[in-house]
Amino acid sequence: MSEALLDQARAEGRTVLNEVESKQILAAAGLPTIPTELATSPSHAAALAAALGFPVALKVVASAISHKSDHGGVVLNLPDAAAVRAAYDEIRAATSHLAALEGVSVQPMAAPGVELVVGLARDPQFGPVVMVGLGGVLVEVLEDVALRLVPLTPSDAAAMIHEIKGFPLLQGYRGAPPADLAAIEAILLAVSRFAVANPDIAELDLNPIIAGPEGACAVDARIVLIENEHSQ
Amino acid sequence: MTTASEANATHDAVQTELRQRLARVLNPRCIAVVGDKQVRNYSWLKSLKPFTGSLYSVQVDEREIPGIEELGIKNFPALADIPEPIDFVVCAAPRTVTPHIVRDCIAVGAGGIALFTSGFSEHGDDQGKQLEHELIQLARDARLPLIGPNCMGLHIPRLGVCFSTDQPVQAGGDIAFISQSGTHGLNFSLGAALHGLYCSTLVSFGNGAVLEAADYLDYFADDDTTAVIGMYIEGVRDGPRFARVLRDVARRKPVVVWKGGQTEVGKRATLSHTASLTTNSRVWNALVKQAGAIPVDSLDEMLDVVKALRRPRPTTGRRIALAAMTGGQSVVIADDFAKAGFEIPLFSAASSARLREFVNVIGGSAENPLDLVNTVLYDATAVRRVLDILNEDPKIDAIAFEVSAYIMHGRWARDPALLEELLDTVAAFNRASTKTFAVIIYPGHVEAKAADVRDALQQRGVATYPTFARAATALAKAIAFQAARAES
Repeated sequence: MSEALLDQARAEGRTVLNEVESKQILAAAGLPTIPTELATSPSHAAALAAALGFPVALKVVASAISHKSDHGGVVLNLPDAAAVRAAYDEIRAATSHLAALEGVSVQPMAAPGVELVVGLARDPQFGPVVMVGLGGVLVEVLEDVALRLVPLTPSDAAAMIHEIKGFPLLQGYRGAPPADLAAIEAILLAVSRFAVANPDIAELDLNPIIAGPEGACAVDARIVLIENEHSQ
Repeated sequence: MTTASEANATHDAVQTELRQRLARVLNPRCIAVVGDKQVRNYSWLKSLKPFTGSLYSVQVDEREIPGIEELGIKNFPALADIPEPIDFVVCAAPRTVTPHIVRDCIAVGAGGIALFTSGFSEHGDDQGKQLEHELIQLARDARLPLIGPNCMGLHIPRLGVCFSTDQPVQAGGDIAFISQSGTHGLNFSLGAALHGLYCSTLVSFGNGAVLEAADYLDYFADDDTTAVIGMYIEGVRDGPRFARVLRDVARRKPVVVWKGGQTEVGKRATLSHTASLTTNSRVWNALVKQAGAIPVDSLDEMLDVVKALRRPRPTTGRRIALAAMTGGQSVVIADDFAKAGFEIPLFSAASSARLREFVNVIGGSAENPLDLVNTVLYDATAVRRVLDILNEDPKIDAIAFEVSAYIMHGRWARDPALLEELLDTVAAFNRASTKTFAVIIYPGHVEAKAADVRDALQQRGVATYPTFARAATALAKAIAFQAARAES
């Protein structure tokens, strides 16, 4: 499944896989991702939402847009079919001037938890590097992230989570339950295995991952392949 | 057509053979210096004068030969004329001549060569790059271990192999130092000697064209004379291999890594210094941590950490007893050790009771951190009493003790026996103690006196540090390494 989608993208000379494709590929690679379907019309979105269970989130699917929420491309917490249909139109209106719309993704709202960012980047000398940080301002402004080279050992995965300065937030801050550290470690190890199995991955973003007291789950994902001479 | 993996396998096989052949070069019985000159004050030949084996010169310039022969060193017109097998060749000839010298080395079956000559890939011109490429081809095809180019080569204190007349000749060194810079290599060997520490072997390898850091690391991991490996590195040619080897070697011996070029400007300098490609410094730090190696940021820290690793009685515990000489110092010693991750517990009830029997607490403190000014000023026996109590306290893993040159120098000047007594007491405790023990000599305004005390303690086998923060950082890094090793 994941190989087929990656091969198809490679054959088409595409380097960026959209959210729905990326999640399917990663789910097949053993990474927990929130169930996500691609809708191509307002009523299609409403039907998918009913099947997935309310409340849902809708996000624009367009390879050219990477910061979806900055452009009105994300609407959260939609309680019913009418709200889903309206949100679909809203997203189309907000983003149509930016890029060709491939559709809108529909997914159930994730259970509450701590937001993390997990990524994979490629160092020109040392190859793939796994990154983990806490979501939002901590990563963007304070660059509070931990890095390790692929392949990761289980103790590498544990050490990098403990290395983040914001680690106390994962231990249950102000009465919140502690996040499932084993589930986060399992994600880091799965990302490392995925990088080993697919040497042509240039970048992978799991942003955010929501880590609850039991389990952790990627609610957005983006895979970028290395451009090669066969790409168009 | 060979596949990429076959090419890699061939490359690795050649590298392995080159590394095996290093053993002869790093244990030389005969050395030849090619192209040393008056204008350099025959510095290579003079530095190698203490060499325990045979030393020869190769120089064809008639004007240079009398000066060489005055040194008592026999000169020959070519390597082929030297009447015994040559284990190591130092080449100081101009860059355009270097391929001929390397061919001569291959023809006479020399063990290996270090090229002091620079002006290769680090220079940036096409001729330099072409010459380096030619040297790589020649050396790899013939499996000739080539060190450099653009380097100072070898320092092997036990054999009197030196690249500076300042370097020590001394048996028993057990620190391998691998350096992309000749200066940092030199300063490591000189700075370490001040603390009674010597290299097993120091390799300055410059551009690392044929043998790079990973090869030397691999060699010293298997070298019985090496207990600790330090390295100064600017860049690597084969990143994944370096990461793999560092991980493997750091499991077997402590490896201390000082990375040069951590800032954008520093990176620009590494390109012209050793033609090193650069990588994000955060990736480097991750790599070093992941490998279980010990990262340091300066030569001072390198020396401090190596000293801490070489100290007797390694501990994995972080509960430290701190003894300062004044109230202000007791606050700062506590801050500096706490910042480095140490616990500074209250002493056991038994220790406290014993300390209160004689520690002057008016203007002092009998608790951790201790303020001993009025207790030990004139009484070395009180020093020993305090240290013995700390050594016996089950709540304590390590002890740091301040010798305050700035307070004591006047008394020492009036009564030199007072200093001798203190030095002997500290040294005797260091021998008897069952715990990690560090002495800090804060120099204050009497730097020369502090240096005398440092030398005197070093001769008595006691490791000293110049500031609390440096002692704390070095001990913390050594302890973290021991703790990680104990866990695995």
